Amino acid sequence: MSRVNDVGGAIGFPAVVEEPDEPRFHHDWEAHVVALNGALIRRGVYNLDEFRDAQERLPVEQFRSSGYYERWFAAIGTLLVEKGVCAPGELAP
Amino acid sequence: MTFAPGDTVRARTVDVAGHTRLPGYARGARGVVVEVAGAHPLADDRARGLDVPAQPVYHVRFAARELFGEGDHSVVVELWHDHLEGPA
Amino acid sequence: MSADHASSTISAEVRHLEALLEARGLLDPGEIDTRIDEFAAGGTPANGARVVARAWTDDGFRARLLADANAALPEVGLSMAGGLQEQRLKVVANSADEHHVLVCTLCSCYPIALLGPSPSWYKSEAYRSRVVRDPRSVLAEFGVELPADTRISVWDASAESRYLVLPRRPEGTADLTEEALAGLVTRKGLIGTALV
Repeated sequence: MSRVNDVGGAIGFPAVVEEPDEPRFHHDWEAHVVALNGALIRRGVYNLDEFRDAQERLPVEQFRSSGYYERWFAAIGTLLVEKGVCAPGELAP
Repeated sequence: MTFAPGDTVRARTVDVAGHTRLPGYARGARGVVVEVAGAHPLADDRARGLDVPAQPVYHVRFAARELFGEGDHSVVVELWHDHLEGPA
Repeated sequence: MSADHASSTISAEVRHLEALLEARGLLDPGEIDTRIDEFAAGGTPANGARVVARAWTDDGFRARLLADANAALPEVGLSMAGGLQEQRLKVVANSADEHHVLVCTLCSCYPIALLGPSPSWYKSEAYRSRVVRDPRSVLAEFGVELPADTRISVWDASAESRYLVLPRRPEGTADLTEEALAGLVTRKGLIGTALV
C-alpha cells in the first residue's frame, strides 16, 4: 500500500491554515538540520532519495506526531546509523 | 522507445513496497504526455542506493475525472519512463 | 511535553550530532554556520517577483522563460544552481483560460534555491491532499474565485523539476516600473494560491 506520506487525494483533511508573517524557520535548530542534511548529501554519505525514503520508513505514529523538521532530523539519524557513521547509542547527548 | 508529446500513456498499477515517486492517486490512470521533461535515474532505485542510468521523465496530464471520478480540472504529474506503459 | 521543551531537547540533540560529526571529520568547523548564512542570503520570493516583472514587461524574455526557464534566469541575474543539484525550472503562465497551482503531494518539493523555504501550509497534509482532488475549493479558501470556464491545472512536483507560476499582470499597471511591478507579486501568486 502507499506509504504515509502519499496523501494526494486523501479524504478527511481540514481547511488549509495559513500562518501570517511566517518566519523562514521557527527555531534555529531547524536551519541547522537543513544545513546538516545538505552537508551530508554533498559529502555522499547518502543521497536525496535515500533521505526521503528514510523519512517514509519512520514508524507511522512517529511520522504523524512529528513536526516537519523533526522528521528530517530523525531520518538523518536513521541514515547515519544504517551507513555505519554512528552507533545507535551515539545519537543522544 | 521514448514517449512523445501527445502520446496516451497509462501509469503502472504496481504498488511497490518501497520508496516511489509515482503517487498512489495516479496509479493505473490514463493520461497524455505533455512534454519530455529531462532524464534522471529512477528515484525508486536511487532510494535503495543503486547506481542506475538516467531514463526519460515526462510531464503527464491526467483528467481529474480519470483520477478521482469527479472534477473538471487536470493534474500534471512528472513521471519516469518506468512508471508508464502504452495505453493498451 | 510542551513545544518549547521539545524544541530545546531537539536543539541539544542537533548540537550534539554536529559536534560528533565534526570530530569524525564529516563536518568542517564553521561549515554549518556558513551554509545557514548562504541559504539565508540565497533564495527569496523577491527573486520570483523579479522574474515575473521582467516577463510582464518583455515579451521576448517571457517567451524564453516559458521555453527554457533555466537558460532565461541569468538574464535577470538569477540561476537554479544554488542547491544540491541544478533542477529544471518549469514556469507555467496563467491566462484567461487556464490557472495553474503547484503542489508536492509526496513531500514538499519547491524551488528552494530560488525562492527560499516553502510556507508551512504548502507542506501541510491539508493542502497536499486536497488541492489535487478539489483545487477550486482550496483556492476559494485562499480567497481566489475563478470563473467556471477557467481550466485549472495542478502540477505535482513528483520528480526533479521545480515550478513557478507566472501570474497574469493585473489591470491598471501599465505605468508602473519593473521594480514596482515586482512589488505586486506575492509568494502565493508564484504558487498559484493567489492571483498575483
